[in-house]
Amino acid sequence: MKNQLKFRFIFLALVGAFLLSTSFQNLHAQDVKKNKVRLKADYVKIMDGFSYLKISAGSKIKKQNTKVSNIELNIYNVLDDEKIKIGNVMTNMKGESKFIFKNLNKIKPDSTSTYNILISFKGNDSFKKATKRISFKNANIEAKLIKKDSINYITATLTDASSNKPITDESLDIQVQRLFRPLKIGEEFNNTDQDGTIIVPIEKGIPGIDGILTLEVVLNDNDDYGTVKTLIKAPLGTTIDDESTFNDRTLWSPRSKTPIFLLIFANLIIFGIWAIIIYLILNLLKISKSKI
Amino acid sequence: MKNFKTLVKDLAPKKFGKFDIIWTCFLVLIIIIGIVAYIDQLIKGQEVTNMRDYALWGIYISNFVFFVATSFVGSVTVAILRLTNNEWRTPLVRIAEIISVAAIVMAGITIMIDMARPDRLLNLFIHARLQSPITWDVFIIPTYILISLLLLYFPLIPDFAILKKYFKKKDPKLSKWYGKLSLNWTGSIAQKAIQTKSIRIIAIMIIPVGLLLQTIDAWLFSTTYRIGWDSTNFAPYFISGALVAGIGALVSVIYVVRKHKKLEYYITDFHFDKLGKLLVLACLTYLYFNINEYLIPAFTSKKGESIHLDTLFTGAYAPLFWSVTIIGLIFPIIILLFKKGRKPLPMFIVGLVVVVGSWWKRFVIVTPTLLHPFLPIQGVPESWHHYFPSLHEWLITVATLAMALLIITLLVRYLPVIPIQRTADELGLSENKIKNTES
Repeated sequence: MKNQLKFRFIFLALVGAFLLSTSFQNLHAQDVKKNKVRLKADYVKIMDGFSYLKISAGSKIKKQNTKVSNIELNIYNVLDDEKIKIGNVMTNMKGESKFIFKNLNKIKPDSTSTYNILISFKGNDSFKKATKRISFKNANIEAKLIKKDSINYITATLTDASSNKPITDESLDIQVQRLFRPLKIGEEFNNTDQDGTIIVPIEKGIPGIDGILTLEVVLNDNDDYGTVKTLIKAPLGTTIDDESTFNDRTLWSPRSKTPIFLLIFANLIIFGIWAIIIYLILNLLKISKSKI
Repeated sequence: MKNFKTLVKDLAPKKFGKFDIIWTCFLVLIIIIGIVAYIDQLIKGQEVTNMRDYALWGIYISNFVFFVATSFVGSVTVAILRLTNNEWRTPLVRIAEIISVAAIVMAGITIMIDMARPDRLLNLFIHARLQSPITWDVFIIPTYILISLLLLYFPLIPDFAILKKYFKKKDPKLSKWYGKLSLNWTGSIAQKAIQTKSIRIIAIMIIPVGLLLQTIDAWLFSTTYRIGWDSTNFAPYFISGALVAGIGALVSVIYVVRKHKKLEYYITDFHFDKLGKLLVLACLTYLYFNINEYLIPAFTSKKGESIHLDTLFTGAYAPLFWSVTIIGLIFPIIILLFKKGRKPLPMFIVGLVVVVGSWWKRFVIVTPTLLHPFLPIQGVPESWHHYFPSLHEWLITVATLAMALLIITLLVRYLPVIPIQRTADELGLSENKIKNTES
């Protein structure tokens, strides 16, 4: 009798332990499946162009940083406690996306002229929901070229767009656009003066196609204003000749661009030889007909 | 002293004997096996070959180059000897023309075998890019086939008329065919004038066209900017090599035909002696270009080229390289420099050695270069770094060689291998006394 009770107890204990572990397993499995998404966002403004948010989504999966692709992110304009949806984007295969502000004036800043944007991911089967808040002010850069004592300079003024006041003591980068990465010119730090202005000499001898240099003045990743960039074309470079033979008639170009000399001589040879061959075949006919 | 009748009897084509039938059946069998292998290659793709990303040209291309080289014999023996008034050429020209036709036809077929999609052949013409030597090759090969056929056909016309008469009673059906091919030849002054003029035009035209063919063949390689091929020496190197291969083949075929058809009266030791001198001249010229081709790079080579040369001189291809150079070129020169070496039998052996050497020489030119590209391909299996033809490739290639021999055999069967009319004219045996001196 005692033994029977013992067996019942052991049986119930085992079943209980099994059910308990199963339910814990389920909970644990859900934890493993859902990963945390980390959102990063930078504000970029191109003068006379457009402003946009550069967003990237990543996650640490099995201790490895992984890009999170194909997730939908909603973008909101936050004003006090109010959230106004202004659009949405999908991340690409690199986990990146770009949200372009079609018109910045349509977004409302707060009382300090700061724009507050919320990026929200509502979560899915694989990832938990996530949000990222970014705040920035609107700044302008105006650049122009001047010449003093035979030296060419680029001068740029940084102002707050809402108050139109100069922004002082901020470093601006001056750089020339190149194929792979821009070429910096001037000092390492070109801080704006009390008028929000910098002046940097443009070195001679920088090569550019047709002598045109595309200069960039950049306020880089500023805490308040994000990245602001203006472009200006300067005919101050050393002219480089485009050595590409893409449009020329060369021995290595496609058949539509066969060199004329080759077209003439090759065809002369081909048609010359075949004309003689036809003449010889006609001679066979003549032999056949001239018995006498 | 022969008369016209006995001359025609000697030189007229004769029926196949027992040996000829066995020989032809043997060739047909090899060709059938090759066709089966080729059909399998068409179905399965070029996977059945051992050509891979490294050796993307293999035995088919080296075989093609060999055929192109051999076809040069028509230009040399017929045209050059004719223009230089070498009278001894008479009994040899027809066989040279036959070899030329067989070789160039097979070159055309072989290049199609190398194409994975022969059904797209027409695209080579439709989408031809005139800057490419491959396009030039596409144009020059059919042109050379046609010129070689005309070179064979024009001198044959009077012979066909003779054979028409000769076979009228013996074999009326054959006589009818010869009659059709003789184009109503009566030997009239007008006909002879047209024929003489035409042969003269072909003899002149085939020299630049033959040189063009060999040059384009060389440029297929030398315009690719590859180690071992990127050489300004390549065109004359190929032309001199073609002389060797062509004359070697001519010597070998002439010996067999002479012995088999009992033509010792017409093809004498004197002809072999002359051919021997021509062959030794060709071999010496080729040796000179070989020295140019390998010695100068040995002095000036950079890393990539040094590896290539080491492979040839002391590496994996050294046995083959030295065999084709010493056995296939230097030994023949030494043998042929002696009068005894220019007798028919030694000449035949030398001719065969030269032909075999020429075939393998093309293999040495094509393959090792492909195994040493400037930019080695990453992540390919080790086996792709080496090349030796697969069974399919061997069967198909041997079949193409058999096909060339079959064409020669059939043409030798149905055509007079020595020009009858011209020989008769030279011996003063013509029925009509108007001399026909062209062939």
